[in-house]
Amino acid sequence: MTEIAPQMRSALGTAAARPTMSQRLRRTQVTLHNAMGELYKSKTAFAGFLMLVFLVFACLATPYATRYDPVKQNYAQMLKAPSEAHYLGTDRYGRDILSRILWGGRRLVTIAVAAVVFGMLLGVPYGVLSGYYGGWADSVAMRIVDGLLAFPGILLYLLIVTLARAWQIEGIWNDLSLIFALGFAFMPEVARLSRGVTLGEREKEYVEAARTMGDSSLYIALCQILPNCISPLIVNATVRLGYTILIIAALSFLGLGTLPPTPDWGADLSAARDHMETHPLTAVFPGLAICYTVLAFNLFGDGLRDILDPRLAER
Amino acid sequence: MIIYTINRILHLIPVLFVLTVVVFGFVHLLPGDVIDTLSAGDEDVTDPQVRMALEKEYGLDKPIYVQYAKWLVKVVQGDFGHSLITRRPVSVELLAGIPATVYLAVVGMALSVLIAVPLGTIAAIRRNSPIDYGAQITSLAGISIPEFWFAIMCVLLFSLYLGWLPSSGYASPLEDPVQSILYLILPATAVGFRHAAYTTRLTRSSMLDEMNKEYVDTARSLGFSENKVIYKYTLRNAMIPTLTISGLQLANMLGGTVVLETIFSWPGIGRGIYEAIIQRDYPLIQAGILVLGTIVVIINLIVDLLYRVLNPRVALN
Repeated sequence: MTEIAPQMRSALGTAAARPTMSQRLRRTQVTLHNAMGELYKSKTAFAGFLMLVFLVFACLATPYATRYDPVKQNYAQMLKAPSEAHYLGTDRYGRDILSRILWGGRRLVTIAVAAVVFGMLLGVPYGVLSGYYGGWADSVAMRIVDGLLAFPGILLYLLIVTLARAWQIEGIWNDLSLIFALGFAFMPEVARLSRGVTLGEREKEYVEAARTMGDSSLYIALCQILPNCISPLIVNATVRLGYTILIIAALSFLGLGTLPPTPDWGADLSAARDHMETHPLTAVFPGLAICYTVLAFNLFGDGLRDILDPRLAER
Repeated sequence: MIIYTINRILHLIPVLFVLTVVVFGFVHLLPGDVIDTLSAGDEDVTDPQVRMALEKEYGLDKPIYVQYAKWLVKVVQGDFGHSLITRRPVSVELLAGIPATVYLAVVGMALSVLIAVPLGTIAAIRRNSPIDYGAQITSLAGISIPEFWFAIMCVLLFSLYLGWLPSSGYASPLEDPVQSILYLILPATAVGFRHAAYTTRLTRSSMLDEMNKEYVDTARSLGFSENKVIYKYTLRNAMIPTLTISGLQLANMLGGTVVLETIFSWPGIGRGIYEAIIQRDYPLIQAGILVLGTIVVIINLIVDLLYRVLNPRVALN
């Protein structure tokens, strides 16, 4: 049962008064409460939500929770099995695997979030404007998107990563180029989706009303239509976060991500292959970390879709 | 239908244009001179005379759109230049890899559809049963597991511990069919399992969609047996989206097998491109991506046209 915010009740009696601070707070509270109620109703969304909370907590707590330097080599402790001192054992340079996974995850999640946000910043205005204006501008814009979508699999990333390698980009710039590559490759999908939703919204009455009131086209497209397209975009972005993490891991698995000493799940997994027969656990833990993270985003995205689009929840 | 086909083919032109521009521009975005890049540290390029000759040969003295046009004409004729490493024509190197990649992708796809369609159908028919929950959980896990990790774990279990299957390698199915299948099992499973997870979800939801439609009730009220209603009518309609997505995914698989081909030392086009990237063999990268991209576009076209044949209702809208 959805509660009605108090100022709405009062608005029925008195003319629309400006809400006071406490009313605003109350309204936020009600919204949050309703959102949590919805979240609790969907088992998948709630499970994903809990997993994500734990993930974010682990990322934030990493500097305090880890007891070892993730990069420093310790040849006295090479390839140790899990023990009291090293909960997940050590890798072939004697580095604590738990520390490497935590630090690697912090980096990976940050890059993935930045890449998805960047892709949406590029793709959403692109799609909304092209859908709203229509005509030949729309045709040209969509053909460009089709062309970019024709790059199969991870090849577009490989192309951009190759360029970054050729320019010998290092350190933070390397991460930024990765963010750019992933975000840019996400752009066509977002553009298509937001264009599709815009085409549906464009014909609705509120747009016509805004037009009658003399709002400019740009204002209508970005301030009236865009907020109404947001829910499919959020679902898409959540699922995409999981996918982006898979891609980053695959790239660094191929040795095209970050350079070796930096903790990285994909690169660690690739390094663990050399002594997999004798020490399989070194290859198991980074893989499990990737699975956990991607599953968290997928569960949450799946559940979110059911909540935001109740017609699908019946399935 | 004919008009639609022609229309659709005309739509390919701008798409291929974007694809070629990106691939062409790629070499020009590399640091340094194109001659330095293409000669890859060969002797003599410091000599201005040789440079002039090379610039003329590559057409670098012309404006960039003329260069693009000339390059395009060559590409259309199948001339992608020479590999910087092996000095053999790029087209020869690429063609060598295509059969292995197609073989892997097609078998992987067939495997995944064979598992996913029955599983998704049963999950939809027995909705909210243990089988349904099992299928849903498995498929959700399936799309969350990175395929390279899955591949490594399979190698660990089946090659290193049990010793049943070879850990990597390739044998041509025409020359040595038995050996070829042994080599194929692990890579094909790794390629297929992720798609199997997607397809299961898709089949389940489109089955549920169809089962709620009125024609199903009509068929039941006419007294058709439940098996006939489900397998003859519902499943057929539910298959349309599944097959369409599978077709589109097949295109994606051709390019997405890079990681798996590397793990299993599969001599396909994906591994070829990966090695070209490591060795900075730019003409090969350029050509590989262009060829795969074109294949994807063409497969998409075929899938789109088949979709209309399978589902004539679309054409009415």
